[in-house]
Amino acid sequence: MQGLAIVLALLALAPFLWLLVMSFKTNAEIFRFPPRLFFPATLENYAALWTSEFRTSFANSLVVSVSSTIVSLVVGVPAAYALSRWAGRGGGTITLWILASRMAPPIAFTIPYFLAYRYLELLDTLTGLVLIYLTTNLSLVIWMMRPFYDQLPRSLEEAAWIDGATMWQGFTRIILPLSGPGLAATAILCFLFAWNDFFFALILTRTEAMTAPVAVVNFMNYEGWEWGRIAAGGTMIMLPVLVFSFVVRRYLVSGLTGGAIKG
Amino acid sequence: MSLLRRRTVLGGALGATLAAPAVHAQSGGKPYNGVTINASCFQTTYYEYLKNYFPEFQEKTGIKVNFTMQAFPVYNQRTDLELSTKGSAMDVCNVTFIYSGRWIGAGWMTPLDQFFKDPKYTPADWDPDDFVAGAQSAMKNAKGETFAFTHEAGAMLNIASRYDLIEKAGLKMPETFDDMIKVCEAVDGKEGVKAFVADKLHHWNWIPYLMGNGGTVFKAPPENLTPTFASPEGIAAAQWYADLLMKYGPDGQLSYSDDQAMRAQMSGRANMRTQAITWGVPLAKDPESKVAKTTRFALMPAGPKGNFPGSNSHGLGIPAGSKKKEAAWEFIKWAFSKETIGMIVDKHGYPAVCRTSVIKSPKFKEVLTLNGQDVAALYLEVLQLGGKSGYMKYRTVPVFPQVGDKINKAIEKIATKQQGAAEAVKQAQAEAVQDLQKAGIKVDL
Repeated sequence: MQGLAIVLALLALAPFLWLLVMSFKTNAEIFRFPPRLFFPATLENYAALWTSEFRTSFANSLVVSVSSTIVSLVVGVPAAYALSRWAGRGGGTITLWILASRMAPPIAFTIPYFLAYRYLELLDTLTGLVLIYLTTNLSLVIWMMRPFYDQLPRSLEEAAWIDGATMWQGFTRIILPLSGPGLAATAILCFLFAWNDFFFALILTRTEAMTAPVAVVNFMNYEGWEWGRIAAGGTMIMLPVLVFSFVVRRYLVSGLTGGAIKG
Repeated sequence: MSLLRRRTVLGGALGATLAAPAVHAQSGGKPYNGVTINASCFQTTYYEYLKNYFPEFQEKTGIKVNFTMQAFPVYNQRTDLELSTKGSAMDVCNVTFIYSGRWIGAGWMTPLDQFFKDPKYTPADWDPDDFVAGAQSAMKNAKGETFAFTHEAGAMLNIASRYDLIEKAGLKMPETFDDMIKVCEAVDGKEGVKAFVADKLHHWNWIPYLMGNGGTVFKAPPENLTPTFASPEGIAAAQWYADLLMKYGPDGQLSYSDDQAMRAQMSGRANMRTQAITWGVPLAKDPESKVAKTTRFALMPAGPKGNFPGSNSHGLGIPAGSKKKEAAWEFIKWAFSKETIGMIVDKHGYPAVCRTSVIKSPKFKEVLTLNGQDVAALYLEVLQLGGKSGYMKYRTVPVFPQVGDKINKAIEKIATKQQGAAEAVKQAQAEAVQDLQKAGIKVDL
C-alpha cells in the first residue's frame, strides 16, 4: 500500500519535477533528444529572471496576494461570525446573495470591470487588483468561516460576556483563537486564488501592476519561446505557495474539514 | 556602422520626414516638445532593436515614446479589449494580421491616408508605395484606405533542416505535392530524422495544401463568407495533410507550438517544414542550431491547382480613440522610413522587412544569403504572390479566428483517427456556418 502511495505521489509530482529540472537547463539541453539524466546545471535562467521585469511582477504578485488575503480576512471573518450568530430571519438569504459574486464566470464581468476601472483610473494599479480579488474572495471567506462559528458553542462567548467582556472582546479573545485552523485554510485559499489568477491580471494590468503569471507568458516571444525562463518563472511562482502551505500545514487538513460536520 | 553614420542616417530620416505642420515651427525644431505617446506591440525583434534609437527620435521631435511589448496572445487579448472600448490608452498599436479585418472593419483604427497623402505631414520621398503590396493588403479596407504600415512579413517557404539527406537520396527540394511525398518516403527515419514537422496551427499550415488542391476556405472573401472547405477537394486535402503529419512527423507534433516545431528542426530531429521564413532563419543562423550548414530553403510545393504559400504581415497603426494622432504618425513615419529600416537591417540583420527598396538592397541580400542561397529573392516572390491574386484575403476577415478553430479541430480528429476526413471536415464546416449565422453573417448554402 505504501509503495502504491509513493508511486502515485511520484506520478502527481512528475510534472513539477520536470519543470524544476528544466529550469536548470539551457535551451539546447532542454531540446536534446534523447534527454540526459545528468547534465551540467545552470542558474542562468534564474539570473535572467532577476534582471528582467519578472522581478517587479513577482513583487507585485506578493503585494497583491498578501494584501487581498489580509483585507478579505479582516472584512470577511467578522461578517461570517455575525451571520453565524444572526438570530433573526434573513441570515441565510444574505449568505446566499454574498455567494452571487462567484456564480458567474469571471469573463462575464470583463467589459464592465474594464470600463469601470478605466473610468476610476484603477487600470494597471495594485489597488485595482486587490479590490478585484477582495470582491471574489470575500464570499469564500464568509462561506468557509461561517460553519466554523456555527459549530462553536455559544456558551463560550456568553461566559466571557458574564465575566465582563464586550462582544468584540469575546470575538477576538475567545472565538478567533479557536478558529485558527479555519483561518489558515481560508487564508491559503484566498492567497492561492489571488496568486494564481491570470485572467484579471491580464485584462486589468499593463506594465506597472503586471503579476508573475502574466510575466511568465511574456517569455513566449513571437519569434521563439524562452523555455528555460518559462520553467524558472513557473518554479518561482510555485515557491511561495509551497512555503505558505508548509507553514500552515498543521492547520490545513483540520481547517478544510473542520466546518464540514456540525458537532 | 559607426555612431556618426548611424546618427547621420537617423538625422537624415528625421529631417526628411519632419516637413511638419505649421505648429512645428515653434519650439526650435522640436515640434512636439513635451508630448508623450503610448505605443504597444507583441514582442518582436524589430522593436527590440528600434527602441535603442528612441532617445534620438525624442531628441529630434520632442516626442517621448512609451513602448510596451507583450507576448503575442497577451498583446492581442489586451488590444482587442482596448480597441473595442474605443479607449485612448494607446496612440500607436500593432495591427495583428489575423485581427486586421476585425479591427479595421469595426472602425477601431484611424485611416492613415490623411497623413501619408498630405505633404504637410509626409514628404513624397517617404514613398508609401514602396511597401510590398502583398504585405500591405491586409492593412486596407474595401475602399482601399490604409490603416497601418507593415514592419514584419511572414512568407511561407519549404524549409529543410537536413537537405544533405535529401541530396543523398538523389532528390532535390520538392516542387509539387507528389514530390513532397516522394522525398518524405525517401528520407523519413534516415539518421533518426523524421521527414516532416508542423506545429498545431493547422488553419495556417494546411490552407496552402487546401488551395493547391483546388479548395477554398470561403466562397469569395471578404464579400461572401460562406465556408466552402468541406468540398471534395477540401476533404481530400485534409486527408492528405493528416497523412503527411502522421506518417512522416515526430511523435507528439500535434501539440507542437511554433517554437517546438522549430526546435525539432534545429536539433536535427525533423527535416522539412512549410512555414514562415521567421521560423526558418534561426535554423541557419542561431548559435544553438545543429543544422546551420545543412539548411535549405525553397518555395512551397505546388499542388495540382497551383502554388499558394501563406503570407502574413503585421503593421503599426493609430487607434481611433487616440488623442495624439499627429505625434503618433510622426513615430510611425520615423520607425518605417527607408533610412530607419535600412539601418535596422544593416546593423542588426533584421530579416522580415516589408519595404521593397530595402529587400532589394545588397545588404538585405547579404543578410538573407543563407548557405550560399539567395533567400531574399524567395521571400519577395512569396510576398508579391500573396498580393497579386489576393488569395490570402480569407485570413483577414473578422470571422476567421472562429472558423480557424474549427479547422484545427478537424485536422486533429482526422490525424488521430477519431473521425474520417469527410465526416470531420463536414462537421467543422457545419459548426463554422452556425457560428457565422449567429454572428449575423449571410451564408448562401
